[in-house]
Amino acid sequence: MNLRGRASRPAPFSSEAAVPDPLLDVAHVTKSFPGVRALSDVSLRVHPGEVVALVGENGAGKSTLLKILSGDYRLDEGRVSLAGRDASHASPLEARRAGFRLVRQEPEVVPDVSAAENVFVGEWPCRGLRVDHAAMRRRLEESLAEHGFAGLLDPAQDGRSLSPAQSSILEIVAALKPGVRVVAFDEPTSSLTSEEVERLFALIRRLKARGLGVVYVSHRLKEVLSISDRVVVLKDGRVTGDAATAATSEDEIVRLMVGRELAHGFARAETTRDEVVLEVRGLSSRWHRDVSFSIRAGEILGFGGLVGAGRTELAKVIFGEFPRTGGTVSLQGRPVAIRAPSDAIAAGIGLAPENRKAEGLILVRSVIENASMAVMRRLSRWGILRTGRMVGAVSPVIRALEVRTPSLEQEVGKLSGGNQQKVVLSRWLAAGPRLLILDEPTRAVDVGAKAEIYRLIDRLARDGMAIMLISSEMPELLALSDRIVVMSGGRLSPVIEKRDATEEIVVSHALGKGLAA
Amino acid sequence: MTAAARPRRPGALALIGAENLSLLIALVILVAIIASQDGNFFTARNLFNIGQNMAVTGIVAVGMTIVIVSSGLDISVGSIAGCASVAVGLMVTGVGSIAGGIAAGVALGAGLGLVNASIINYLRVNPVVATLATLSAFRGVAFLLAPDGKPIGVLDQTFAQLGSGRILQVAGFPGVPIAFAILLVVAVLGHLVLSSTVFGRSVYSMGGNPAAARLAGVDLNRMRLAIYTISGALAGLAGVIITARTSSGQPLSGTGLELEAITAVFLGGALLAGGKGTVMGTMLAVLLLAVLSNGMNLLGIPTFYQLVAKGLLLVVAVAIGQWRMALAERRQSRATAGGAP
Repeated sequence: MNLRGRASRPAPFSSEAAVPDPLLDVAHVTKSFPGVRALSDVSLRVHPGEVVALVGENGAGKSTLLKILSGDYRLDEGRVSLAGRDASHASPLEARRAGFRLVRQEPEVVPDVSAAENVFVGEWPCRGLRVDHAAMRRRLEESLAEHGFAGLLDPAQDGRSLSPAQSSILEIVAALKPGVRVVAFDEPTSSLTSEEVERLFALIRRLKARGLGVVYVSHRLKEVLSISDRVVVLKDGRVTGDAATAATSEDEIVRLMVGRELAHGFARAETTRDEVVLEVRGLSSRWHRDVSFSIRAGEILGFGGLVGAGRTELAKVIFGEFPRTGGTVSLQGRPVAIRAPSDAIAAGIGLAPENRKAEGLILVRSVIENASMAVMRRLSRWGILRTGRMVGAVSPVIRALEVRTPSLEQEVGKLSGGNQQKVVLSRWLAAGPRLLILDEPTRAVDVGAKAEIYRLIDRLARDGMAIMLISSEMPELLALSDRIVVMSGGRLSPVIEKRDATEEIVVSHALGKGLAA
Repeated sequence: MTAAARPRRPGALALIGAENLSLLIALVILVAIIASQDGNFFTARNLFNIGQNMAVTGIVAVGMTIVIVSSGLDISVGSIAGCASVAVGLMVTGVGSIAGGIAAGVALGAGLGLVNASIINYLRVNPVVATLATLSAFRGVAFLLAPDGKPIGVLDQTFAQLGSGRILQVAGFPGVPIAFAILLVVAVLGHLVLSSTVFGRSVYSMGGNPAAARLAGVDLNRMRLAIYTISGALAGLAGVIITARTSSGQPLSGTGLELEAITAVFLGGALLAGGKGTVMGTMLAVLLLAVLSNGMNLLGIPTFYQLVAKGLLLVVAVAIGQWRMALAERRQSRATAGGAP
């Protein structure tokens, strides 16, 4: 297949060797930042039609490598060639023109223009001097259909209204515009539902068939094993493993990544108590109709469903961020009137939102300021902060969560993703709410930190906290939840008990009962 | 981790703040240049003048710091000062009460600040546009308040002390201008409010990320009501001091005050995007601006050039802020990419 592709479009640099030249050849690349050697002597090749997975913990150097390839960073030593040409010092535009496309984990979306315009920005289809919006929307519609994402978003909708999943899909479509030779996906599935992940995988298989090179960066090893041809493991900026996927295993990869065996298949004992903490009856809102459920002390109630099914919105309605149009919310048997997040916090509810950078953290402020936000009111007298008591409340939590930070005064924006997520959690741990709502608590968190966060959630439940867990990651949902409900089209499925819960049942509810067969 | 619980700055730097060090250096250089050119700079009379001149801008700049840290802007402060000036003039001449006059000026300022906040909160108008509108509207109100739109002469000698009097005048020591002493009190209070109250923390968090602040329990509307009211009240106080200095309640008082205050806040290290900035930085910048303008006067630089210089300085101040932010961002992306601990 590759040979045929080459025959129809011979590249000027090709030799007559039987093995195709690599599309992407990274040779002995080294990159240092002040005080850190981010990459040392990293080599990696991607051949036409090959999917190379790049795995490693946060800070292993994956992002640095991708940013060198995309032209955002300059390498110190070594060589990069793209389709046979030297691209060691390419600018972002040159890298793009040479055919390297990066699908970023958290795409930048212009909020005030349409989804279509976000894709075609800089190359607007024009009719005379006027931008042809209709043509733009049509072209996006066609691209979405071509890449298997038809119907997942409306080309006319505002950038602002795009969910993280829709933004990712848009970023993928934009990356595949003509001229693409190598696509690098940086954690593409962190905001996708399992159904959307399937569509992405089908797309990647088609890209392979077209002879493109694919670099696939992910923390989700099951995905890596199912989609990649080769796995390259990075640890502390060095390549610790490079093997055909068929010849390796999840355990081996994990061992190469972290240098230690990890206990897989996290399982927790049931800790549910009798006392009902949250009781939602007949709740309705712009997104929901007649939603009822309850969570007991010590219970983790998992919320499954597709992205856009209304789970995040449900969390925010309960938390007072979005208005409730009907129904009641009771905490420990008493109906509560929650009109704003501050009411919810006062009533003993905590919310760790899905998008930690946009909604969870004040990135320009310090760890202690972020971690103490929910307790500062309680730990002050006449509005004056009592710093000693606040440090006393926050620093044990920061220590227990093993947040890696040089000091409590460190700006949160300077921490790694997993540590940022722990700061969000520490805010609620310090406050000790009766009900904690976790919206995708391990999104874009590395394997090691993920296991720590699972243990933490388990401990909170054992201590009697009621936990509402929203997760699109099926193993996480199944392992942590005592009971599961699935949201679809603004309604909730009946409760699925832990012993009955399987991936298939959750998915069939998520897709609507008609498909359950 | 335990050691990290305490900030690790040496004493003197802790007071000024490491991030303000460059301002301090700039100030020292500026003073050295001016003093070497003109022997009158270090005279008691000149230093007294500088202290007195920076009081009005400084008081407004404290309020402006809180506004800008919350990622807002208040362009109407000069017009609020004008309204307060007329109000205090009317009270002192009409009713004869100095305390009543001061209270009226500050209260009117606070009320006008509340109007600003209401426009921003409930009509959902961007702060820049809202206060640009009230910059014009409040100036009009000042003229309407004054009988026939004319200045009111305020000849009360006791009241005039507020503008040009001094305290702590002992043998050899020329004393401290009362207006400067008021500024000191306002600045210290402003510093304490921003750095060690729930309100101050909330100001920083809403400036850094309003969505996250809201989800962490900060009531943004209520915060803005308080923030713009404080800014208005301080602008009112500035109007009172201007009235005392000039012995007249003028509708035109405080014209151009917004430019000086905003310049000082940005020069003091606050970010246009919000979430960063300190009263200490602003105060150093106010001092720097006062010394600069004093120096230009001493060296005989014409007013027209001074206006150009003031405009340039605002651009420079914001450009430095942007440059700093870009630098911090670059460092940040390095830290995440490089796997900093």
